[in-house]
Amino acid sequence: MNKSRYFWLISLLVIVALALVACGGETTETTETTTGTDTTAATVAPAAPTTAPATGAPVRIRWFVGLGAGSDEPTFAPQQAVVDQFNASQNEIELVLEIVANDTAYDALATQIAGGNAPDIVGPVGIRGRDSFKGAWLDLQPFMDANNYDLSDFDPAMVDFYNVQEEGQLGIPFAIFPSFVLYNKDLFDEAGLAYPPHEFGAPYIDADGNSRDWNMDTLRELAMQLTVDRNGNDAFDADFDPTNIVQFGFMNQWTDPRGVGTFFGSGSLVADDGSAQIPTAWEAAWRWTYDGWWTDWFIPNGPYGGAEFLQGPGGPFSSGNLGMMHNHLWYVAPWALGDANFSWDLAATPNYNGEITSKMHADTFGILRGSRNSEAAFKVLTYLLSPEVAPQLLDIYGGMPARISLQEPWLNNYFETNFPAQNIDKQVVIDAMAYADNPNHESYMPSFLETTDRYNEFWNRLANEPGLNFDAEVATLKNALQAIFTAAR
Amino acid sequence: MVNKLNELRSSKKVREGFNGFALTSFGILVVAIFLMPLVYGIVTSLKTDNQITTLGAPWWPASARTFEYDGRTYDIFRVVECDADDNPIPWGHDADSLTTPDCGGLFGGAVYNWALVNRQRESAEFIDPDNPEAGLITWQGRWRTLERDWVFDAQWSNYLKAWDTIKFPRLLANTLVYALITTVAVVGSSALVAYGFARYPIPYKNVLFMIVIATIILPGAVTLIPQYAVFNQIGWVGTWLPLIVPAFFANGYNIFLLRQFFMSIPKEMEEAAMIDGAGPMRTFVSVILPQSVPALVAASLFHFFFAWNHFFEPLVYLAGSPDKYPITVGLTAFNNLYSQQTNLIQAASLISAIIPLIVFFFAQRVFLQGIVFTGVDK
Amino acid sequence: MTTAIGRKTILGFPRQRKPNSSLLRYRQKWGWIFITPWLIGFSLFYFLPMVASFGFSLVSFNLATPDQIEFVGADNWRRAFVDDPEVLASFIKTFRFSAITLPAGMIFAIFVALLMNSKHVHGKIFMRTLFYAPVMIPGVAATLIWSGVLNEQTGWVNMLLQNIFGIQAVGVEGIRWLQNPQLIYYTYTLMGFWGVGNAMIIILAGLQGVPTELYEAAEIDGANYWQRLFKITLPMISPVIFYNLIIGVIGLMQYFLVPYVLNGGDGSPQGATRFIAVWFYKQSFAFFNMGYGATIAWMIFLVGIALTIALFGSARYWVYYSGSED
Repeated sequence: MNKSRYFWLISLLVIVALALVACGGETTETTETTTGTDTTAATVAPAAPTTAPATGAPVRIRWFVGLGAGSDEPTFAPQQAVVDQFNASQNEIELVLEIVANDTAYDALATQIAGGNAPDIVGPVGIRGRDSFKGAWLDLQPFMDANNYDLSDFDPAMVDFYNVQEEGQLGIPFAIFPSFVLYNKDLFDEAGLAYPPHEFGAPYIDADGNSRDWNMDTLRELAMQLTVDRNGNDAFDADFDPTNIVQFGFMNQWTDPRGVGTFFGSGSLVADDGSAQIPTAWEAAWRWTYDGWWTDWFIPNGPYGGAEFLQGPGGPFSSGNLGMMHNHLWYVAPWALGDANFSWDLAATPNYNGEITSKMHADTFGILRGSRNSEAAFKVLTYLLSPEVAPQLLDIYGGMPARISLQEPWLNNYFETNFPAQNIDKQVVIDAMAYADNPNHESYMPSFLETTDRYNEFWNRLANEPGLNFDAEVATLKNALQAIFTAAR
Repeated sequence: MVNKLNELRSSKKVREGFNGFALTSFGILVVAIFLMPLVYGIVTSLKTDNQITTLGAPWWPASARTFEYDGRTYDIFRVVECDADDNPIPWGHDADSLTTPDCGGLFGGAVYNWALVNRQRESAEFIDPDNPEAGLITWQGRWRTLERDWVFDAQWSNYLKAWDTIKFPRLLANTLVYALITTVAVVGSSALVAYGFARYPIPYKNVLFMIVIATIILPGAVTLIPQYAVFNQIGWVGTWLPLIVPAFFANGYNIFLLRQFFMSIPKEMEEAAMIDGAGPMRTFVSVILPQSVPALVAASLFHFFFAWNHFFEPLVYLAGSPDKYPITVGLTAFNNLYSQQTNLIQAASLISAIIPLIVFFFAQRVFLQGIVFTGVDK
Repeated sequence: MTTAIGRKTILGFPRQRKPNSSLLRYRQKWGWIFITPWLIGFSLFYFLPMVASFGFSLVSFNLATPDQIEFVGADNWRRAFVDDPEVLASFIKTFRFSAITLPAGMIFAIFVALLMNSKHVHGKIFMRTLFYAPVMIPGVAATLIWSGVLNEQTGWVNMLLQNIFGIQAVGVEGIRWLQNPQLIYYTYTLMGFWGVGNAMIIILAGLQGVPTELYEAAEIDGANYWQRLFKITLPMISPVIFYNLIIGVIGLMQYFLVPYVLNGGDGSPQGATRFIAVWFYKQSFAFFNMGYGATIAWMIFLVGIALTIALFGSARYWVYYSGSED
């Protein structure tokens, strides 16, 4: 090629680039934050509310979304609508929305905080998000006192949930997501099985009218009958072919070992003295799951986990090939089950040794200590959590209001709007609240991210390798965690 | 004697012809296997969402035929009268009097295309799409052993979907701007530096040049953390600046490449320019650069593709600013979010791959020559 | 590399004549001016960061809590050498992976280059372009495409293996390319074959530089193809092989993209892909332990230098430079 042809090629590339920048540049859902040109070292948060800014320019408050719910595409426009609504309602504060995909949100936020560019409000964020950024949250107590914030509409236990020792009141309850069993009615019908009980603590009545305790053993039996291979044999049949399973019975979907352990009973990997421990209920839950993966075959194990017949917008349960699942209220949303072409309903969590534990997710908004306008941020927070605006946001995130007065009307409205055809039993959701796990399964651990990584590795190993020495693996995990905890001191 | 020579000649020709045929075919086979994943990518990208999640789906893009009955949609299955072992399966319109088909014949029983309405473990009920008024047909077999009725259905719309979801124009713009700016900056600055090393008597030139080479083999990890911390402090993290600014300060690989080339240019032209009173910079611009166009173009192309495919530093510096992602990082983020939709993932990957491939095919001669040029000196 | 006069040094700098001193100073000044961009860049982006990086390795610095930086001396280093089994394990995994992928890649590249150099093959130019094309594909896209074709249930590799050889390849009991820790290094090697284009072109250039007289002499002496290959071709292209080896080793010390795209760097299956560069990324940018990360980076650097020196040292024994007359 001669020189003039190169010249044209390069000019063409430049022109194309500029054209793309011009027309590809609209992003309606996210608003970029300006990286501070005037940032210096991270500021220390004031101990008392700061005075209002000088009149004139509105104070800019940045709201960071991504640590929890709110980073799925269908939620972008509704969240922006709430922001626009707020900005239109007053002149002193300009609220700016910043949405980051969940998988990079932790990195992004850490970078912003470290660079002195912390956003003001972060949320919705659950316990896991809060504990990943230990020490970064602002104590809201002074603001609540200064503004006489009314806490009467909240369950005191929920308010206490957000009071962390030595750090203060880090949040005000906003959304709670109890957990329960979801089951696929069509698969139960096909197998000729009776549905699981909806009332917490009630027994399971099978198709012949016999009554049995609704516990983990019963769950296992039902699940095995719902696990079917290519030829229609279920897991109890002698001809069952584990290499050709086309339908599974049960799964603790989208949770980690701590969540699975809490299914059997609450606990923590951190003992009171700070050393590593494995709660007995958790070990039992893990063993039960390991058997479910490799011996009884009713839970999709590692190799099956990525199988195509278990794919769907809401993972395995939404594919219609999973009989039962234990998950939170946020799953009961259009993005997961909106396109489900089967009938489903909610049921009670089974008990383990007589005790029921339905793990709880609770999300709220927090203010970062690095915020430079904490007073204004608190005003925005109050707005977002108010009885008028909170339901709007809760509809977006699929969370039940923490405000007691709003709970039942919200539930009714939510289910009727999103799943009118399914006739969901809302009482299950309300009843499940009483069985929340304490300590919460997402509570603090030293070197939070590294510890999480380590126990996930343990879990992946179990999920992909049959025939392991289970006790030895658990012991290895405990030692590894102990090493991480020690290094973190 | 002549016959024998002719024989020898023709047998040699035959042998050579055979060798040619055999080796060429072998070569074609190797290339075909080598590029097979691309074909897989194309075929998968055309699959329907439904097909991906249904067991027993064919490997080619297909969708299952469905039938609407009573307000709901039902999949059509190929219902057999005789199962795989030639055992008859009773069926009929009246659940109380089912007929048992004859499976002894040569063709082993008919196959019907019916829509599955009700399913039980050991039996199922179907509707005949051609005759829905006849009501439900009871069939006493295991419906899971049946195949659906698949029909070829290539979803070209997957490409549009992937294009929109991944916000491709933005990614493309980012990558293009980044690649162009850094290429111009790097090649320009490296040319200057290379000229200095090639022609000028700098004290300790040997040592300095060895350091240049050393920077090529230095693992980026060693310098990354302090660079990151500093960029973070001055607020450049989350922008393109940490990636673009260093490009203006030359790059070891290009310095090496261009220096080799400059050294091979005869000195007479520069000396003539010097006699004519041109200063070093003038000489550089008017004499050296025009003569080095092949090397400059090669270096530019190399760097352009390198920048186009650059992954690690953009990943680290742009985390959390999806607007600024280049194609590589954007594709990774897309994969994390949509990993279950393999058809979209393959479509997006192919879209990302096609553009550099097209540019390459246009510029291949220059490119390959450039590589040969740089490789020979070893 | 030599000058026309025929003297050579390691990097072929010609002996310089000594012109008069004011011209010398003038030209020296201009030399400095020309290399200024690199000098500044080197100080800013290489030298200072390297020194600072060593300083980082002596402190405990977590990016999420940047105000809590404290000097810990050799603690990070002790943790890397003694307390953290993962560092040593990662190095070993990297070496084991290199032991598989370097020879395989080299052999494949030589094989393809020989094929593309053979006079019996028609359409060489076209095939060369096809072999080179995948190098242009961004690594992320290539990785995703390969992970699709290696899928144990729907990927064509398993389907073809099952249909052609009749072995149980598809499905849960089949060949699990990406989840079997025994297989994963071979899988990555297979994926790496798409990068053969660069090495192929360079080896091709080397092959074309081998004087044909050698082959003719060997044929007269009755050498067959394999003898010619091992006694003439390979030794003559050993400088090219050496170059690819160095580049390969350095590249493997930084091997990160494939494990990150496929698994997010969590090391699956079962830690087998937690190479040292992956562990570095995890510590520095996932857990934000920047001080510890800097320590690991320095270890990568030192090991890399040691390997490079060792390779250069070994070159004497097997690399044959024929270029005494260029």
